Amino acid sequence: MNAPAIVAEGITVRFRPMVDRKPTLRRSIGRMRHRETQELVALDSVDLTIYKGEAFGVIGRNGAGKSTLLRVMAKTLRPDEGTINVYGKASTLLQLGVGFNMELSGRRNVLLGGLAAGLRKSEIDEKFDSIVEYAEIGTAIDRPVRTYSSGMFSRLAFSVGMALEPNILLLDEVLAVGDESFRAKSMATMKELLARAGTIVFVSHALPNVAEFCDRVMWLESGRPRMIGEAEAVVEAYQTEVRQQRAARKG
Amino acid sequence: MSNPLGTLRSYTPAAMTAVKTPPRRIFSAARTYISELWNRREFAWYLALGNLKARNASTTLGLLWWVINPLLLAGVYWLVFGLLFDRGTLDLSRGTETGLPFLAFLLSGMFPFFFTQSAMTGGVNSIVSNTKLLANLHFPRLILPIAALLESTVGFVASLGVFFMIVGPINGIWPGPWTLWLPVAMVIQLVFNFGLSTIVARVAVPFRDLNNLVPYFTRLWLYLSPVIYEAAFVEGKGETIEFLFRLNPLFSILELYRHALTGVDINLAGSLTISTLWAVGFAVAGVTLFVKYEGKMARYL
Repeated sequence: MNAPAIVAEGITVRFRPMVDRKPTLRRSIGRMRHRETQELVALDSVDLTIYKGEAFGVIGRNGAGKSTLLRVMAKTLRPDEGTINVYGKASTLLQLGVGFNMELSGRRNVLLGGLAAGLRKSEIDEKFDSIVEYAEIGTAIDRPVRTYSSGMFSRLAFSVGMALEPNILLLDEVLAVGDESFRAKSMATMKELLARAGTIVFVSHALPNVAEFCDRVMWLESGRPRMIGEAEAVVEAYQTEVRQQRAARKG
Repeated sequence: MSNPLGTLRSYTPAAMTAVKTPPRRIFSAARTYISELWNRREFAWYLALGNLKARNASTTLGLLWWVINPLLLAGVYWLVFGLLFDRGTLDLSRGTETGLPFLAFLLSGMFPFFFTQSAMTGGVNSIVSNTKLLANLHFPRLILPIAALLESTVGFVASLGVFFMIVGPINGIWPGPWTLWLPVAMVIQLVFNFGLSTIVARVAVPFRDLNNLVPYFTRLWLYLSPVIYEAAFVEGKGETIEFLFRLNPLFSILELYRHALTGVDINLAGSLTISTLWAVGFAVAGVTLFVKYEGKMARYL
């Protein structure tokens, strides 16, 4: 087995539902302290090891905790319990165009997005031409990003995200970037990453994509891993249950 | 890879584990945090620069607005207080032989006050308006209020340029030896503003209402600070009132600016001591409150 890339032990994340925390003056002054709020457990002691060179998929219903798990891995959310260790340089593409400012030029946003992702300015300057070339933006790079088509925007954002040259990529349904040819190109880039013993964690509802692209898949249900294993088997089990439940509801 | 575990390097900061940090480690955690912050200094700077650029990106005059805004503001107050209320010269013979022209007096308090006001407004929004960054990327969150502070600092420096452009030709007040105190006053105010903006940034995350309250608070603060009146105004109001007024951190900071910008006499040692104490106090309190809360921020957004 390869070396681990991400090791999660007993990750638990609880949210208190919005309604109870709605921060109004009266409640803040009043009895907010000793009020029992109903807790929502987004992740319930999840143990997970993801290895280098692996494409790992996470599937499950809405609200099963998929995005929460990615955010814990991206270290934007500190778990209530448990530890998470990430070995390597992780790049997160949970959303595209993070750190971008729509008013500014593409050139400026390459800098902003790159700095936000953790690159230094000298590194961005060095990679600038290849970023623009990869994104197939051309001279539009000096136009404000708000004038870009959504395809151009996603291509530039994806290209900046890859400029970090991550060995761990956390993806949240952004595989469907740009047109058919760019999608093939981004797919090739990710395969390359895997070949370099990189790791991809991929959250998606597009089950055929998951089954095709991932090596192993975890099926999350109400914050608990219901099944972890070989991609196609897990996806199939998940699909079977969804189908059965739908049939049961109808019948 | 013969021994893969030997080459592993954890990028996990100590704070990521839910386990409480023992006191001995707090010092090293602080060092890690500061070095992380320092590594990301370019991010803070270009974030501020980007926002500065974007704010007037679609206006015709563009960056000129950073100078025009304070100019117009000065014009409005000159019109209202200088002409309508006819307060041409204030009888402030302290230090200046002819008395201090009201416009110079007013602007020397107004522009520094607006620096703190814009730092506060920027601080309140620095976290809650950057939810996308917070949800997606891991970086020391202190970057965001710092970038907002850099933004308002640029605005303040531009307004200081306007100040000298106005009071020189119009009021005949040119920089003198007292101007050397200007950098000192600016550093003290910067530290104070930093503390203030981190506090409001942190509080605004669970308590969004703060955003709505800040305009009223700063309005009140303006009138409670010696901006449109001089410090001596409160001195005749009895000891208790004077004491309460002097509790205002901006009181001594604005006194420093009055001296540094116009040369009027003040109790320099007193103002320096009090304003420094406030500034350091706010900065320490702000950073402590903010950093302790960092890990929880994402779940409120």
